[in-house]
Amino acid sequence: MKLSLLLHSLPVSLFILRCAALLAPGRERAEWLAEWRAELWHVRDSCHARSCFHGNEAVTAFCLGAFQDAFWLRWNNPRTMPRHVCRIGSPSRCALSLAAWTAASLLICLCLPGARRAILPSPYPHADDLVMISRGGYSGAQSPTIRLQDYQSWKTSAQHLFTGVAFYQPIRKRVHIARNQFAELSIGRASDNLFELLNLPVPTEDRSNREYTARLILSQAAWRSLWGGDPRIVGHVVRVAGQRALIVGVVSQSSWQLPGHMDAWMLEDEQHLDALSSSSRGFVLAHTRTSGSMAQLDGWRYMTVRREDGANDHFDCISLAQRAQLPSSIFLFTLILAFLSLPATTPLPLGEYPRHSGRLPRATSARRWIFLSLKFSLVVLLVHFTSLDVAYGVQAVSFTTAQCIQLAISFFGFLFAFRWILQDQRRRCPVCLRLLSNPARVGQASQNFLAWNGTELICAGGHGLLHIPELPTSWFSTQRWLYLDPSWSGLFSDVYIAPAGLV
Amino acid sequence: MAIEPKLSHTAAMILQTIHAGQIYGFSVMEATGLPSGTVYPAMRRLERDGLIVSKWEQQSIADAEQRPLRKYYKLTRTGVATLEVMHKRYPLLEKLIPSREVKNA
Repeated sequence: MKLSLLLHSLPVSLFILRCAALLAPGRERAEWLAEWRAELWHVRDSCHARSCFHGNEAVTAFCLGAFQDAFWLRWNNPRTMPRHVCRIGSPSRCALSLAAWTAASLLICLCLPGARRAILPSPYPHADDLVMISRGGYSGAQSPTIRLQDYQSWKTSAQHLFTGVAFYQPIRKRVHIARNQFAELSIGRASDNLFELLNLPVPTEDRSNREYTARLILSQAAWRSLWGGDPRIVGHVVRVAGQRALIVGVVSQSSWQLPGHMDAWMLEDEQHLDALSSSSRGFVLAHTRTSGSMAQLDGWRYMTVRREDGANDHFDCISLAQRAQLPSSIFLFTLILAFLSLPATTPLPLGEYPRHSGRLPRATSARRWIFLSLKFSLVVLLVHFTSLDVAYGVQAVSFTTAQCIQLAISFFGFLFAFRWILQDQRRRCPVCLRLLSNPARVGQASQNFLAWNGTELICAGGHGLLHIPELPTSWFSTQRWLYLDPSWSGLFSDVYIAPAGLV
Repeated sequence: MAIEPKLSHTAAMILQTIHAGQIYGFSVMEATGLPSGTVYPAMRRLERDGLIVSKWEQQSIADAEQRPLRKYYKLTRTGVATLEVMHKRYPLLEKLIPSREVKNA
């Protein structure tokens, strides 16, 4: 009961009114609050005079209605933003829509692991010196291309090129998790030095204890889903396809940006790897010597190995840094290509706008170009993030296919988006930047050589008329803008736009 | 051809209430039974459209009665003309809130 009295007391009612006043436009706030306070006095007086039981609740309900009133004032105030922003065709609405789409595509990009990897920098320190070796022409392949025997020979014969070489092979194996509990995992069977080569911190263990034959590193996702995120799992021994493996740590999913989706990595010493078939294939990573004599072209390195039969084997060696930069390189390439191709799809001039320096404020002219630049910036980001979402968001496609998809989406996306930006800019009033409306046909096509014919658009704020010729002629080749002087303003009811323009 | 003003039944009722002599927000609420969140925004809309005008009362009157200064509303000429049109559209409006002498603010 006491709480109820407190809630419906005068200070609480006044507090509600003050809160609601914050919604009202600043210029009208004081008068608005004075009116509501006066009305509150009368409401309370009336309720007390009647001594009604629910009087206090009625007073509170009355005060809560102030929020609707204040909101109405805010919404209908020509100087405040919401109504102005939400007008169809307004520049704010256009910019906000583009910003929202860009933010959404960035959010999707960050949610999809493949797309996220494409925008984030390489997680490997010294990625410039780390190369992924693959058979010539298969640098983007998602399946292994290097035979184990090649890896074994490079370990000894290519020491003048590489300071270290590591091997891994994606396999699927049954793992004995607990008593009578098995799970089939994607495991990277790897040489002992894989994580050291990648400069990823992996806890070392006492290697004198040899009751196990391999070390197992879990991915964060597998650790959470199969072991419930139990930190005590480190140090346990599990059976991977009958082989005992010691769990030594957990790495985050973002640390692995190499081909193959892995739930765990099984690090084995060379003796165990040698036991594999020499023709089995895997991926090979190497740390290059800075003074190495490898053939290099535009950051790509090539290696040629002479076989015993006299033939040559060609290998591509792409640095991990180069690999991580590929999406950015494609983005820049397609952006430039789209800019170069743009004149072939649409005329670049925005039209003829007569000089109006005496009457048009400089800030208004600048606003038009700022708006155009903003649209370009947002559209570039939107197309880039969308292309990454589509190309790298789907894990099933290979890296090469993903690059092709990114290339196509980026190029056509930029081209059509730039075309739209120019068309949109041409259809806007140069003063208030709102989309022009009320298209009207003017003239007759049969009189093309006597007078112009085409479409006339009008600015709802009364700032001017846009004339677009039906057929470009030598005297009327492009669209023309005609400024209307302030004497016309009486014909236009759009009071919210008029102050932005002619003074 | 005269343009017929478009008012909702609620707005027309508030207009009729003010015309009937309920010249401040709370009295309009009491007469119509509408909540404050409906009455005050509606009155602002009517004022914006030039159908009613508001005026603060004189300080001396409020001081004499020992209460805060109050804002009163009254119909404009356009408001009166609009109300007449509304009477044709909503015939029960006058019966619902009968007109009486407007107290001078």
